[in-house]
Amino acid sequence: MKYILIFITALLVSFSSCQNESVVINDRVVIAVGEDIESLNPLYSFSGTESNIVELLFLSLVQHRWDNSKSNIVSYPMAAENWSWNKDSTELTIELRNDILWTDKEKLTTEDVVYSFDLYSDPAVESRLFGTFDNFYTKEDQHIDINKSFEIISPNKMIVRFKPYSNPNLFDISIPLLPKHILEKYKRSDLPTAEFNFKPVSNGPFKLKNWDRNSAIILHSDSASFLYNKKNISELIFKIIPDYNGRINQLRSGEVDLLEDIKSEDADNFKKLNGFSVGPIKGRQYDFIGLSNIDNEEYNRTKKIKPHPIWGDKEIRKALAMAVNRQEILTEFLGNYGQLAYSPVTNIFNTSSDSSISPYQYNLAEAKNILKERGWNDLDNNGIIEKDGKEFSIKLFVPSGNPLREFAGTIIKNNLREAGVEVQIETLEFGVFIENVMSRKIDAFMAGWSVPLPVELKPYWYSDLNQSPLNIVGYSNKEADQILDDLGFSISSKKYFDLLHRFEIIMHEDQPVIFLYWIDNIVVYNSRIKNIVIDPLGVIHQCWEWNLEK
Amino acid sequence: MKTNAMKLVIKRLLSSITVMFLLITMIFILLRISPGSFTQKFISPDLNPALAEQVNASFGLNEPVIVQYKNFLTNLIRGDFGVSYSFREPVSTVIIRHLPLTAVIAFFSFLIQIFIGILFASFVLKKNNVKLDSFFSSASIFIFAFPSFVVGVILLMIFSDLTGLFPSSGIKSFDYDQYNFIEKLLDYFHHLILPVFTISLGGTALFYKYASNNMKEISTKYFITNLRASGVKEKTIILKHIIPNSISPLISAAGVELGILLGGTLITEVIFSLPGMGRLTVDAILQRDYPLVIGCVFISGALIILSNFLADLIKGSLDKRVIKEMLG
Repeated sequence: MKYILIFITALLVSFSSCQNESVVINDRVVIAVGEDIESLNPLYSFSGTESNIVELLFLSLVQHRWDNSKSNIVSYPMAAENWSWNKDSTELTIELRNDILWTDKEKLTTEDVVYSFDLYSDPAVESRLFGTFDNFYTKEDQHIDINKSFEIISPNKMIVRFKPYSNPNLFDISIPLLPKHILEKYKRSDLPTAEFNFKPVSNGPFKLKNWDRNSAIILHSDSASFLYNKKNISELIFKIIPDYNGRINQLRSGEVDLLEDIKSEDADNFKKLNGFSVGPIKGRQYDFIGLSNIDNEEYNRTKKIKPHPIWGDKEIRKALAMAVNRQEILTEFLGNYGQLAYSPVTNIFNTSSDSSISPYQYNLAEAKNILKERGWNDLDNNGIIEKDGKEFSIKLFVPSGNPLREFAGTIIKNNLREAGVEVQIETLEFGVFIENVMSRKIDAFMAGWSVPLPVELKPYWYSDLNQSPLNIVGYSNKEADQILDDLGFSISSKKYFDLLHRFEIIMHEDQPVIFLYWIDNIVVYNSRIKNIVIDPLGVIHQCWEWNLEK
Repeated sequence: MKTNAMKLVIKRLLSSITVMFLLITMIFILLRISPGSFTQKFISPDLNPALAEQVNASFGLNEPVIVQYKNFLTNLIRGDFGVSYSFREPVSTVIIRHLPLTAVIAFFSFLIQIFIGILFASFVLKKNNVKLDSFFSSASIFIFAFPSFVVGVILLMIFSDLTGLFPSSGIKSFDYDQYNFIEKLLDYFHHLILPVFTISLGGTALFYKYASNNMKEISTKYFITNLRASGVKEKTIILKHIIPNSISPLISAAGVELGILLGGTLITEVIFSLPGMGRLTVDAILQRDYPLVIGCVFISGALIILSNFLADLIKGSLDKRVIKEMLG
């Protein structure tokens, strides 16, 4: 027994000399993430973390940043040194920088740029951008017609030609560029499993140092990049820590420097600690109660659209919106890290949101009145209102593993009970939940959307359900359709925002879903990181400019 | 004896193949009829809905289930589990990457459980002290009842957060590649001590209880009394007579425990952010990565069968009658 004690003591003494990891290198930043990524190839960067990392490895022609003074996104040159539009905005002439090298020392040329568009749009490649090149000349299978769309003038100069009457902008050419000399060696259908996905040849401000699957992704600054600055961070590590409490503890202990998606109570705790900074990313995701506007059973059987027997009526949806105390959820659970929502249009742009509209306030009496006017009364005095002998009952489905929605579910259930509406909360595993929602098997559910930038509304709210796969409640409004169509054309900025304001009013009036609240993505980081910018585009999109306090 | 052992191997091999076939067939069917799809991650306004159909087609998921099953079996006979949807690599490559960590943890944890369990049981038996026996017995029940996530969190708090003695997650330092061989080895063990201890604690208590009860029972037998009366040293009696005679039930339990450990220890892997088989399997299930789920289940099932079989062989080599009993 004594030998065991001696052995354990010796072991502890020997390990006590080992130092904690993250303090060894002074220009290293460790970011904690909940799960590993699948690929480092921009063709397949489907998740947010993947996109963030890939943007650091692969340059796009142009990059975007948030301009606080304008409250809008502005584009700036990246791989493209300059660009110019022709008079009718159908042709874009681009000149590439002369000093961009791939990590294998080959030079970036216009051949790489054209090849990248070719790959992204090729159906055989199954890239994340497949089928999204609406402004380009495309073939029947949605593959870009390369000959019609691009003209290479020199290794550094090229012309991009867009379809007439389309609405091209710089976001159309903002794709991470790929090395032709490497990828052309692969058969295109083999690209989803190519070795390049794990050991990429890149051209960005960082290059891959090591990727330990399910443990860490280590990026090192590339001194050959024109974005390199030796005063800035040299190493960026994405450490995979699946447990939320583990991530919080490691942030507190200094093993991790930055963490996103922090709960409000933890954010408040970090605010009290020295050495940490807290910043919210606003207006990028909102939660809502989805009440199918159409009769799902009828639609699934006949593909015919018939209003839902109860909440096909927008007045009923409005009454339910008034009966839910959203402010209570916002204050109690989100600690006011969010704002009440009244439409799907994010309010991060100064001009995008109509300030004359205000969210429906919690007003139980008014909600009861509306329900009464629509013929819902509690005739048998059991506390639940009924109409035509049928009680007003909602089976509200919630995905599991989301504490906010579970908390909100309880508040909503109690609120609606006071209005005479019975609510049963049913929790479903996320995969099962998504399948049921997308196949219109459930009528009432609580979910949320992340908002893409630039603003994209048509896939969610257009009446033609074949064109709007994300219109999961089957919302339909002719005026809204017209606005969504018009937003797709080339229009002036004033006209664009006028249309957006009108769309907001329609959404507020119709309440296609009960808009609950915008949820802030709370970021906490070690204050030793300097030059960090937190804005609606995220936190790490310009991290090559970060430096550390010595 | 050799013939009997060979017969046992053949009998077990045939029954194992049947069990494995039924297991993967059942998993294949359950996965196909359960709701959810791998392509649910393609639900986004940024993505074209046609992409999901394209990906489904390229993985053969739009074929009838019976065709998918036929293709799956054909590939399996060739030793090919298919390509993991989420890792975009062959399933065998993904499993080979995750299995060694689980095997190392399982191996060390298993040794600790057996060694410490028997050591403490021998110590208590040798002391022959009722109070000490009662204390260890109560303590083992108390420890066994403690869930591993509580043990893990407490260990992290004490040895990582408060004292900084051990790292709180991962299997190696970020600078691992710059170390020499000895430093790498030390770094690896430095990272694995807390997880191995977390996994071992409950099992050690269990093995202590098993070993203690069996050893107490054997120590009351006449031949042990006879040895004591003949003046044989207590240490010799325990090492050469009591332990060998009481170890058989322990080996059966060890076979089951080893199989479970090799299948992955999810909670510990999550707490300590370890890339082991447990996390891999659960992630594969949540992402509806069918080939990977089947690969993980196949490997876990095979390891459980193998470890139980090894336990039976060891029992048989210690007591020849056991093999005859197994052969019926």
